[in-house]
Amino acid sequence: MLDRTANSLQQRLLESERLMDETGCYDGITELRLRKEDPLKFETLHTKLRAYCVSAREMARRISASPGVREVGEMVVAIYTPEGDAIALSNGIMVHVHTMSRFIKWMIRNGYEQNPGIRDGDIFANNDAFIGTVQVPDVMDVVPIFFEGTLVGWAGAVCHELEAGGITPGGDVCLAQERFTEGLFVCAEKIGENDEIRRDYVIRCERNLRMPIYWVLDEKAKVAACIDMRESVKQLIGEIGLGYWQQLSKEYIEEGRRAQLARTRQLTVPGIYRGHTFYGHVTEGKPGFQPLADPNWLYNIPIEMEITSEGKIRLDFDGTQPWGYHSMNCTPAGMDGGMFVTLTQHMNFEGLVNDGAWMATEINIPHGTWTNPDNEMAATATSWALLLPAYGVFQRLLSRGFIARGFVEEAFVGQVNSPMIEMGGTSQYGTGFGMAHFECAAAGSGALAIKDGLDTAYVGWNPESDMGNIEIWEQNMPMVYIGRSIVPNSGGAGKYRGGCAFISTWLINKTDHLRLVTSEHSSRVFDNGGMCGGYPAPTCEKHHAVRNSDIFERAERREPLAHAPGTDPLVSDFERTYKGEQVWEEGPYITRPHKAGDIFSHAYNGGGGFGDVLERDPIKTAWDVENGFLTREAAEKVFGIILKDDADGYPQADIDATVARRAEMREERLKGAVPVSEWIAKESERVRTSDFAAEVAKMYRGAMKLSPRFAKDFKEFWGLASDFAIAGEK
Amino acid sequence: MTGYSKEVINDLVNGTLPWPQTRRIMSAYKDDDRFFKYLAVLQDRVSWSDPILLPVSDHLFICDSAEGRITRCECGHSFGDYRKNWKLKALINVRNTEESLREIYPNSDIPDPSWMEIREFFCPNCAHLHEVEAAAPGYPIVHDFEPDLEGFYRDWLGKPLKEVA
Repeated sequence: MLDRTANSLQQRLLESERLMDETGCYDGITELRLRKEDPLKFETLHTKLRAYCVSAREMARRISASPGVREVGEMVVAIYTPEGDAIALSNGIMVHVHTMSRFIKWMIRNGYEQNPGIRDGDIFANNDAFIGTVQVPDVMDVVPIFFEGTLVGWAGAVCHELEAGGITPGGDVCLAQERFTEGLFVCAEKIGENDEIRRDYVIRCERNLRMPIYWVLDEKAKVAACIDMRESVKQLIGEIGLGYWQQLSKEYIEEGRRAQLARTRQLTVPGIYRGHTFYGHVTEGKPGFQPLADPNWLYNIPIEMEITSEGKIRLDFDGTQPWGYHSMNCTPAGMDGGMFVTLTQHMNFEGLVNDGAWMATEINIPHGTWTNPDNEMAATATSWALLLPAYGVFQRLLSRGFIARGFVEEAFVGQVNSPMIEMGGTSQYGTGFGMAHFECAAAGSGALAIKDGLDTAYVGWNPESDMGNIEIWEQNMPMVYIGRSIVPNSGGAGKYRGGCAFISTWLINKTDHLRLVTSEHSSRVFDNGGMCGGYPAPTCEKHHAVRNSDIFERAERREPLAHAPGTDPLVSDFERTYKGEQVWEEGPYITRPHKAGDIFSHAYNGGGGFGDVLERDPIKTAWDVENGFLTREAAEKVFGIILKDDADGYPQADIDATVARRAEMREERLKGAVPVSEWIAKESERVRTSDFAAEVAKMYRGAMKLSPRFAKDFKEFWGLASDFAIAGEK
Repeated sequence: MTGYSKEVINDLVNGTLPWPQTRRIMSAYKDDDRFFKYLAVLQDRVSWSDPILLPVSDHLFICDSAEGRITRCECGHSFGDYRKNWKLKALINVRNTEESLREIYPNSDIPDPSWMEIREFFCPNCAHLHEVEAAAPGYPIVHDFEPDLEGFYRDWLGKPLKEVA
């Protein structure tokens, strides 16, 4: 066995990887000796480590000034081995437990022991996604843990910053088309020594951010959390001994790896699972976009998942689109992190949760695609735009396995994008400001296989979803809420509907310059799916705003206000109510600044549905209509549920009429549908002549160029010659 | 070891188990005998006697039959060899106009039909909607699931299936 104290970290990392290759077990731990000797001690000590993490995070949240961290909990902390593998973690934005692991390993591989040196009391920070994070606002700090002169681990913390100093205000810098416009980068930098953040680093933050108080106080919060965990771990090692700790921490990870394999074998079925989703990005004609590439993109995101007989999960993104000059690219760190956070939610509900689970998986992210750009100048500031839909597919694939195996209570139609609003300009206090509005951390979830999805209560990146209090948001931005309400029908239809989203409407207040920017919402296509007959949620909403509205005059006259755009997709309640310049904006909301008196609304996304709509419970549907989750129109048209009013005027299901209507709908289905073979024969003519919109044709060309397998499968499916090419291909 | 009665599994699968009980099941250690109880519950649900080997969707099952191992709808309709994509033997309705998309999304913004269409796959016998795809025009139909059926029974369940010709 390698001497764990005498060798350099770099040697230890290489040796750990070699042992994994050689034995198939983490760090060559073929036997869980300590667990076997004293399982209670083994479990108790892990619970202690987890408690250190949870408590450090809660303490840190109270140091932060950012409502994203304080209110919504956009933070996570973890404890690592010297080689950078996570041993224990807190709740929160768990995606970063693994991205931090990448960051630590990157420093080790790049000779940080020699220069700049790794010493007790040092603080290292990073937000470079190619080193190890997801996007520029995810800033991570790690500190080494030394015990009597020996490096025995790392403590790390991440906060999602509400302002990153990019070309557009906020953290998810939508307009960034290359790395150089994403904002302030800290590239695996030593930002402090002797437990103190360097003054010159703080000055750099203060000079390069629109709202440095968020970032700088978050740094202090993270460093405090790291020191807290470090001291707790040192105390623990003092109690159990260094040798015990070194063996124990490795066994935890190996146990996590084995548990993941066992859970996969327990909950799923081996085989090949496939699914896909799409994402539309429309920027044509928007101010600020540089003509670096085509303005509009349609992204296909196909995923093939193999569950091997060993219980290993292999994900393959072959066939997806190239990276592009937009901010939605993702790095391998982000892709790994997405896998990690999905597993922690869906399979790691018992036993130890750590990097071991991730080690029981494999992922193929083809070089040159958005999942693994071959150009490190690519921007990744809104990588969630593609990452969330992608891992929503993964959730559906896993759920297919749960359903096959009988664990229907775990099946879940998956996560969706929850579009962000970023803003900047002049605050209500007359000062410059910038912020990301994080109420998006509470979207609708996909349906379950046994019940409706959660309404306004789930996002994939933080299972501890929370939209935050209106009053807190209003303190931080020059807008006041005039509405926050459920969006009817925003969950995908099905026997069990997807969870509904909410929409907020604001009056811009006490400012003459407010820039609003939105990101991570698809245009022209839905970026989610249903399952087992359920429909996708409608996730290509446009934005509604009113410039120079007469809201103050209406209020003066005591006339009613419109608090949401309403349920008529062609004429909004804003148009019916307010005078002023009506705005319907498709794609990212990037327009000229707003001012006091303007009205702006922004809808989040609901989740996909499960099962056939004609099996939905009519009584539950009547309740949904009464409470604004579904419209009467949808109940009848989509679900075939006929409602009448009871004596008090509340909707009540007419069961007989519903049964009759549904029988008619089944007849209509059979009458209107055609055999798939017939459809394929007809549709193949369209494919043969490449009768597609320009963006669709470009998508096929992109997929075929990067993936011989996609090209082969496509041609075989449609019966095309092997030399077939989509028309217009250069 | 955790275990539940067939009645509880039946109610769980049907979505009729009270939430507090469902929640307890979700929070507890998983019951290792779930699979065969689940199959028994599903077998009681169908009017045909071919043994169900593996559910692949809400109302679609791989079962043994006189014609070999097939994918069968709960109503009894056969989609043929389970190794082939059952969707290719289904009926399809494609929503690729504003009018047809509005029928499902009456109050929302809808996709641009030149970028995305909604495909519905029905059972030709009972008209059950088994799956929905939201895809770009021209996108091949997806084969959702190719289980390693024999490997599953042999290596994971320890009950190898009888060999079929």
